[in-house]
Amino acid sequence: MQIIENSKVKEKLYIEKLENGLTVMIIPKKGMKKKYMIWGTNYGSNDNVFVVPGENTKTKVPNGVAHFLEHKLFEQENGTNSLDTLTALGVDANAFTTNDMTAYLFACTDNFYPAMDELMDYVQNPYFTDENVEKEKGIIGQEIMMYDDYPDWKVYLNAMQILYHNHPIKIDVVGTIDSISKIDKEILYKCYQTFYNLSNMAIVVCGDFEPEKILEEIKQRLKKSKVNGEIQRIYPEEPDTIVKERIEQKMEVSRPMYTIAIKVKPTDNPEEMVKKDLAIQILLELLVGKSSPLYKQLYDEGIISGGIGASYEFSENYAHVMISGQSNEPEKIYDNVKQEIAKMKTNGIPENAFNRIKKKIYGEYVKDYDDVENIANMFLTNYFMGINTFAYLNQIDNIDVEYLKQVLNDVFKEDKMVISIVKN
Amino acid sequence: MKYTEKTIKKGMKLHMMHTDKFKTNLVAVFLTTKLERNYVTMNALISAVLRRGSYTMQTQEEISKQLEELYGASFDCGIDKTGDNQVLKFYIEAINDAYLPQSNENVLKKAMESVLDIIFNPLIENNAFKKEYVQQEKNNMKQRIEGRIDNKRTYALDRCIEEMYKNKPFGLYRFGYVEDLKEINEKNLYERYKKLIDQCKIDIFVSGNVNEEIENIIDQNENVKKLEPREPNYNKESEKNHEKQGEKIENMDVTQGKLVVGLDVNSRDEDEKYNAIVYNTILGGSANSKIFQNVREKANLAYEAGSRYFKYKDNIFVNCGIEISNYEKALNLIKEQLEDMKNGDFTDEEVENAKKSIISSIKTIDDEQDTGITYYFGQEMSGNTQSIEEYIERIQKINKEDVLQVANKVEINTIYFLRN
Repeated sequence: MQIIENSKVKEKLYIEKLENGLTVMIIPKKGMKKKYMIWGTNYGSNDNVFVVPGENTKTKVPNGVAHFLEHKLFEQENGTNSLDTLTALGVDANAFTTNDMTAYLFACTDNFYPAMDELMDYVQNPYFTDENVEKEKGIIGQEIMMYDDYPDWKVYLNAMQILYHNHPIKIDVVGTIDSISKIDKEILYKCYQTFYNLSNMAIVVCGDFEPEKILEEIKQRLKKSKVNGEIQRIYPEEPDTIVKERIEQKMEVSRPMYTIAIKVKPTDNPEEMVKKDLAIQILLELLVGKSSPLYKQLYDEGIISGGIGASYEFSENYAHVMISGQSNEPEKIYDNVKQEIAKMKTNGIPENAFNRIKKKIYGEYVKDYDDVENIANMFLTNYFMGINTFAYLNQIDNIDVEYLKQVLNDVFKEDKMVISIVKN
Repeated sequence: MKYTEKTIKKGMKLHMMHTDKFKTNLVAVFLTTKLERNYVTMNALISAVLRRGSYTMQTQEEISKQLEELYGASFDCGIDKTGDNQVLKFYIEAINDAYLPQSNENVLKKAMESVLDIIFNPLIENNAFKKEYVQQEKNNMKQRIEGRIDNKRTYALDRCIEEMYKNKPFGLYRFGYVEDLKEINEKNLYERYKKLIDQCKIDIFVSGNVNEEIENIIDQNENVKKLEPREPNYNKESEKNHEKQGEKIENMDVTQGKLVVGLDVNSRDEDEKYNAIVYNTILGGSANSKIFQNVREKANLAYEAGSRYFKYKDNIFVNCGIEISNYEKALNLIKEQLEDMKNGDFTDEEVENAKKSIISSIKTIDDEQDTGITYYFGQEMSGNTQSIEEYIERIQKINKEDVLQVANKVEINTIYFLRN
């Protein structure tokens, strides 16, 4: 196994790519009682159109298949449900689907190996029937309706609608009642065969372990598998422009919720992704962070009453900055953010604040290494984008004012900005 | 992890959790006072005003800058209900010196001093809080209280509790009431603050790579020195409401209905409360539970379906999100599960499995510093000094008979449904 050590957080990553294509990563954490394993596939709700390795034509599947598949994988041929089996072992098991990946996981203190047996068994052995697929539509239907009542989810999703013309990031991960009604077991099997090949997957284990032993235990539980050819994922052509600047929806909320989003040109260079991510985080702190002049001004004017959420979301094929929160005057916030960006472009980056924020961001990355679940999740998500998570700690020193300026000009563009509002 | 505690002054304790497995140290200060209708809003507002600025760091901006300089130390405050008490919680988390690019900055000491300064050394002008801060925070508090409706799940649970504990302390909303705000000003709020600080129970928690130096920092701290010993004014026991509240239906513009069923467990003593933890896990506390299996997996009525046990109040709240037209169906299914439990329709194996998952979560208490603090605060509030090992042993001993006894005492108190 290759060992990558980081001297800043004093942690080690053990990583190996097996012959069957599966990547295994182990981050030992001495003294932690909790043990955590997550098995992810590089397949999310965005992967709706693709060419199955070995075929010539493209396959298009209904929205929400990746998430539906996640629900159904727990079902076993002998009538049991793996979630029940894992729960009965006293372990905390779960799964999740995002735009870009699907993952199955458990956390425990005891029974780690029996739980590993079960997890590795059910992920490798799908069992879909017409009946069990039908049944799940009721449960997922309620999940969809639950999100319908989440204004913060709606305001985000609406922002995606006006930011992107065609990219599937627009689509709700869970699909719609209508799209899931079209899902059947054949579709599930086809997506499973395509995306659950070991060469498209990675396992991360974190806890008080001997890495070599864990690797052996994982190998023993893998079924024979051949490396599939590359999956061709087809994303529609996405123009650089936004669709329109504003969107509004009525919902019962106490105060309007807003998401300001900026469309960003994605990059598929991992090193650049990390640097850009860090630079954007620093810029967002300088623009709307708690010590920024704009935050103070908006707070004093009573326009905001708490933190402004700011984040950068990206993959190899989409990227956007988001600024969001709740306020009676979202339009004012929008105008002010635009002005603040313009001001910073003219006046330059304040050096003192920049150094302070760098310290803050460094500390936050260090804090990330206290929780076994968080550690494993970070390494998995970043791995699928070709990023080694330690790169964040190493790159932060390389961010300088010049680079920030460049990112400020490239990313924070007025004609790429939109605002989504949900209000009464 | 090693836990030690020390009384600083009467009514004021230092709790230390010594551990070297984290990259951060966490400091928490809890101020505990009785939940009272007259003061609930003021107490919540005090916490909001304090974090606006202290005597030494007079603005939020200054506080934020100080935290950033401390490598992104995070400061947070919250209001909780613990039994019939309102607890003002302040946290500061900062990275260990061992992980700093430059050593010997003593971030922990600075972080501790900052949080003590924010709480005990407020910005005072003319024997009152700063007027501007109080006015602004009154507006913010109003928005926060009104913002309750934005998360339907927590709203439904809170409303069920309010109905269940009508006119009782526990029925109060932890952030208080909009109608109280107009009478509050910088003067009367400061008067309330002084009283609160003089009378509340004070617990300081320090978790992380800590040593005797911490005691010195606390002993030498000017803000701590000026605090008087006190007979802390808080509720050790909590008041039950055994009066059945029946069915409450509330209308709102929602897509999905939220059903919450509040149960009285009627435990006679502390031991029975431990049995109730196991009972709840079997009833609705896990993916194997009766409610999850029957409401979600078999009847496919819900995505979210489960229950939670509130140990201080000895209540269980069952909740699920359902199609509005399925209200009767879901409610009947929940009632059936309660009946099945009474009839002993669960196996020894289910009891053992439930115990396994409870024990697993107990074992990880000291894997997370804030969970550790919550656990030892719970011990403090119930007057126990039970170690994590003893807690595990206690769960270990529980058998089916014990759980059946709980089942036969459980009664529905309130049924709350949020619908359109």
